Amino acid sequence: MSRPRKDPRAARAAHLVPGGARPRFDLAALPAASGRPRRDPRAEERLALVPGTLRRRLDRAQRAPALAAAAPASAETVDAAPRLRVIAEPAYLVALVPDAPGGRLSAHDRQLFGAARLLADAGGGAVLAFVEQPGEEFGPAGADRVLALPVSGYDPEAKALALNAALAALDLRHVLFPETADGGDLARRLAALSGEPFFAGAESLSPKAVTRAARGRRVEQRRAPPRLISLAPDAVAPHAGTLHEGLPVALAFPQPTGGAIVSAEFIPADPAKVSLAEADFVVSAGNGVSDLEAFRALAAALRATPGASRMLCDAGLMPRAAQVGASGTVLDARVYLALGIAGAPQHLQGVAKCEHVIAVNTDLHAAMIERAGLAIVADAQKVMPALLALLQQERAS
Amino acid sequence: MRIAVLLSAGRHSVSGRPAPVPVELQALRLAVDLANQCGGQSGCDVTGLHAGPELGPLADTLGHGLGHLVHLRTEGAADPAPALAAALEAGGYDLILAGRAGQGGEDAGLLPYTLARGLAWPILADAAGLAPGEAPGTLSVEQALGRGARRRLVVRLPALVTVHPAAPPPLPFAFAGLRRGRVEMREAPPAPAVAPEVEERAYRPRPKLIAKAAAGASALERLRAATEAASGGGRLLVDPAPDEAAREILAHLRALGLPTR
Repeated sequence: MSRPRKDPRAARAAHLVPGGARPRFDLAALPAASGRPRRDPRAEERLALVPGTLRRRLDRAQRAPALAAAAPASAETVDAAPRLRVIAEPAYLVALVPDAPGGRLSAHDRQLFGAARLLADAGGGAVLAFVEQPGEEFGPAGADRVLALPVSGYDPEAKALALNAALAALDLRHVLFPETADGGDLARRLAALSGEPFFAGAESLSPKAVTRAARGRRVEQRRAPPRLISLAPDAVAPHAGTLHEGLPVALAFPQPTGGAIVSAEFIPADPAKVSLAEADFVVSAGNGVSDLEAFRALAAALRATPGASRMLCDAGLMPRAAQVGASGTVLDARVYLALGIAGAPQHLQGVAKCEHVIAVNTDLHAAMIERAGLAIVADAQKVMPALLALLQQERAS
Repeated sequence: MRIAVLLSAGRHSVSGRPAPVPVELQALRLAVDLANQCGGQSGCDVTGLHAGPELGPLADTLGHGLGHLVHLRTEGAADPAPALAAALEAGGYDLILAGRAGQGGEDAGLLPYTLARGLAWPILADAAGLAPGEAPGTLSVEQALGRGARRRLVVRLPALVTVHPAAPPPLPFAFAGLRRGRVEMREAPPAPAVAPEVEERAYRPRPKLIAKAAAGASALERLRAATEAASGGGRLLVDPAPDEAAREILAHLRALGLPTR
């Protein structure tokens, strides 16, 4: 028996009315609530009763009143979706220097805007973006002010000198950089130039603390956000929700002087020579491909790096360096074209980071077909020459 | 051309034991190759420089092609920058090579920049290849950018260059080289210790961003981001004609912005 035993004397004592010479008991009064509240099933039923129906109907889920209350709220959110937020009198400035290759923001740059907004919105500050070419993109990304740097060509030292001048003139609270080849270089130049504390490769960021890995990724360093921070990729979510004005501002920069760099020349990646781990676009052959000459010609015509599955590498048809997968190379490519590959789990591990996958395979139920953004159930041996012919025809015309 | 290679006390990335930093051994290889190209002229040498309390496994760098290693002995937690700056200024070098970042210390990659600032030399980051420039007194640096792209820079010497992991691999270890090499120990003047202004704790890997939708996005956008990443969310063509399949693939690649011609 699990029911608690009643103590009649204690129950009677609970009804005792205090005061008076003789003990008096008010047995009609409800005892004080103890433990679980008592349910009133009849009252619940009255609440659940749906009015205005012929047959008696109970709505125990209580959906009808909840729906009526929710409807106006959803109408409000539709109005509030893209809202312009103007910060006219900022308490302080948080600056950021996006890479913006070719004037377009990368995913890492957008995360940088998210981090800057996090630091600025904590105390009513504004975000200032230092860019090479001003554009329409920076306001919606989260910049309140946009300042164009007077830099042309590859001259990081002149850029660092201009930033140092801005750092002193505008009293910036924080300056954020992406931890990329160019952004990280610029951040360290500015840190050495200004002598300000620098936090390299922040892996988490909040207005109170930033953290980074150190001592061979064995130790996590943590401190309040210093003036110069470089942000690791995928550490902070990009900014969304509000639009910002992206107001262009001007500043008198010192005249740049000639640096030590005599010439700079960009050399695009040669897809035939670049290693698989670095490649941007990989075309891979599997067991469904037997004509490897056509495959190599196709890779060259598409300007892609050739790869292969374990089957072809084991058979000696492709070099071991071309193997994609868990025991070969784990790709970092953006686009992957799989020809005649079914998609073993180990192979799919190798392409896990690829953003876009295109698969050509005869088996409708292959794992690679399921993974692909464009899946073609066909014989790769027949698609390859058609693709080659199409490319040659386009080149001729 | 006199070349100095900065060597730091690193730790092995897996075992955590003291070891040379791989990218600094790659820098050493670039320096040795460059010194060999200047063809037996006098005054063409490579010197390794290390500032720290003890040499430890850095003596192995002699086996990777280094002829002369200078050890600037400092106190335990002293800042190595003043000792290195003094030695570099006195050494009369034309080129200083350093790794991109250390491994096992602060790992911020800031020391080459403060040294270059102190020497008032230009600094170039992320070299994957070095060659003598066409004009005398210049150096051609192949800078590694992302995705296998390169940038060729010509810089006037003297200069400080940091090396990227995409540089050619280190020279193989040779025991005879280790025996042949010379280690010179110098006492560095006392320097103030680096004041730690950070709190340190055991490293905990943080979860990466999973859904790519932003913080303020609507629930619909978050759901779309979460489901599109998992499935390809793509089109399926069953048994198209080979020509049609080729056209579809090419149109898809063009839509992704690939230069296929």
